[in-house]
Amino acid sequence: MSTTMTPNAHSSGGPGAGVAVRRRRMDPGRMTAYAFLVILAIIYIAPMAMLVLTSLKTLPEFTKNAVSLPTSFAFDNFVEAWNKANFPRYLLNTVIYTVSSAVIFVVTGTFLSVAIARRFVRGGGVVFTLFLIALFLPPALIPQFQLILRLGLYNNPIGYILLFLVNPIGIVILVNYIRTIPVELDEAAAIEGCGYLRYVLQIVLPLAKPAIATVAVLHAIGVWNELVLATIYLTKSDYYPITRGLIVFNGVYGNNWPVLAAAVLMIAAPMAVFFVFMQRYIIGGVTAGAVKG
Amino acid sequence: MNYPFGTGRARAAPYALLAPGILLYVLLALGPSLATAVYSFTDATGLPNSPIRWIGLENYREFLTLGAASKENLDALIRTFVFSLAVTVVQFTLGLLVAVLLNQKLRGTKFFRTLFFLPVILGVTIQGLMWTLFLYPLGGPLASFLGLFGLHSDMLGGQPAEAFAWVIVVQIWSNLGMTMVIFLAGLATIPSEVYEAARIDGANRWQVFREVTWPLLTPSVNTNLVLTIIGSLQAWQLFLVLTGYRAGTQVMGYLVYATAFGQTSGTTAGNTFRQGYGAAASIVLFVVVLAIGLTTQYLLRRREARLLE
Repeated sequence: MSTTMTPNAHSSGGPGAGVAVRRRRMDPGRMTAYAFLVILAIIYIAPMAMLVLTSLKTLPEFTKNAVSLPTSFAFDNFVEAWNKANFPRYLLNTVIYTVSSAVIFVVTGTFLSVAIARRFVRGGGVVFTLFLIALFLPPALIPQFQLILRLGLYNNPIGYILLFLVNPIGIVILVNYIRTIPVELDEAAAIEGCGYLRYVLQIVLPLAKPAIATVAVLHAIGVWNELVLATIYLTKSDYYPITRGLIVFNGVYGNNWPVLAAAVLMIAAPMAVFFVFMQRYIIGGVTAGAVKG
Repeated sequence: MNYPFGTGRARAAPYALLAPGILLYVLLALGPSLATAVYSFTDATGLPNSPIRWIGLENYREFLTLGAASKENLDALIRTFVFSLAVTVVQFTLGLLVAVLLNQKLRGTKFFRTLFFLPVILGVTIQGLMWTLFLYPLGGPLASFLGLFGLHSDMLGGQPAEAFAWVIVVQIWSNLGMTMVIFLAGLATIPSEVYEAARIDGANRWQVFREVTWPLLTPSVNTNLVLTIIGSLQAWQLFLVLTGYRAGTQVMGYLVYATAFGQTSGTTAGNTFRQGYGAAASIVLFVVVLAIGLTTQYLLRRREARLLE
């Protein structure tokens, strides 16, 4: 039954029509609900809309009236931001950091999770507990810095990538998912003469694909958005990821909001599109991680 | 569980393949995490190859009791509580309300859900810069809007308390979506028959929420409370983008970062990096987070047990 949302439900309800009675009672509630959601949506859209509008304005226009509509849709700001902000370089860096750390984490994490989930190793339970309590441990920030510094990997892309090879929540999600794969498959594979490596790669991997995809995407988003570690570890501008690049650009172009807005938008828009398409994986992942972790 | 893929050398395969993952975890996360406590008893700096001396509780003594700086530290600690309390109360309540509304058969729920969650994906840099523009004090959108009601705010450039309040707003705006989806996941597990039964019994909307939704939502309530409390006690990154390290606005997380890595953004050499002292500050924050986190967990468990009786 599809409930219509038109208010004419009032007139269509005859005596004794329970549905109509319920509808009539729900209508004011629905209207309030809608009004509330729309107001909240405006609060969410407004900063994004401001970003778009500003990016299409000239600086004099913006200075004269920050909230006016742009008079012409010139894309000069985007060209200027792209050229002056060294964006291609920063974007490439971010992609390198994100992809390499996500790949290494997912590969090592999957092997780790299979062994734990299937109890193929002694002490697996203890290891899993170590990952579970990670949320309640002190931050690793300072000793991690000392470690990287003493390894000579400060201000070095490899040192930076090292920071993102661990993700306890990802492990928790993977282990919990792999546990749901039927154990009978293990024995069947073994009887067929399948070795352990092949079993992981050809049996577990395809079946755990949804969880692996989720974990990979979540991990990638985290690395992509990282600002603090990039600020601490990378001082050479050739190594900046896009987040750090944007902040530095903000420092230089802080008063030229049209160009700055264009720069921010160029990064935000692709992410928004990516999110809309990957939404199912992302939201499923964060809720699974939150509830089980 | 027995291992079906052979014995002898074949038995070593899972160990060998698990090793890199554990090694990375111990070396890069677990070890450093525990070592924070050790560093807090030293005078470590950010200089490479500099000797590290053991100075006992000196960092803690300095942090908690020494001069004007310690007063600022305690102020930062109190500010962290205020921040956490404000964020938790609003984000939890609003997140619950939005989730309950979006759990109905309303048109456009998918759009609203996507919109409210989007900032979580965009990350602090974009959240922060977007709001710096939105809070543009000279005739920016929010300034103009407030002007319509004869109100005025200097936004992020105003008095510390004012700037601080705006950061709270941005923090909630940025993370509300997370709270919302956890509640929505919880709501999805409540079978519709339960609601219908309540309706047939003549319960009104509020009664349905009180008697059905709220108790059945306990797992999500617990998750959200713990996550939001712990998260907001540790949060500080939006301050980095929105206000910088500004007197009167610092929270503990930022204080740790600023002392350990220099107040400016890491462009100078390491000699201003007081890492041992920073580690002590970070242990103080950790103890606070742990105490509050465990108390919350304990209270929530007790409440859950009472509900199940």
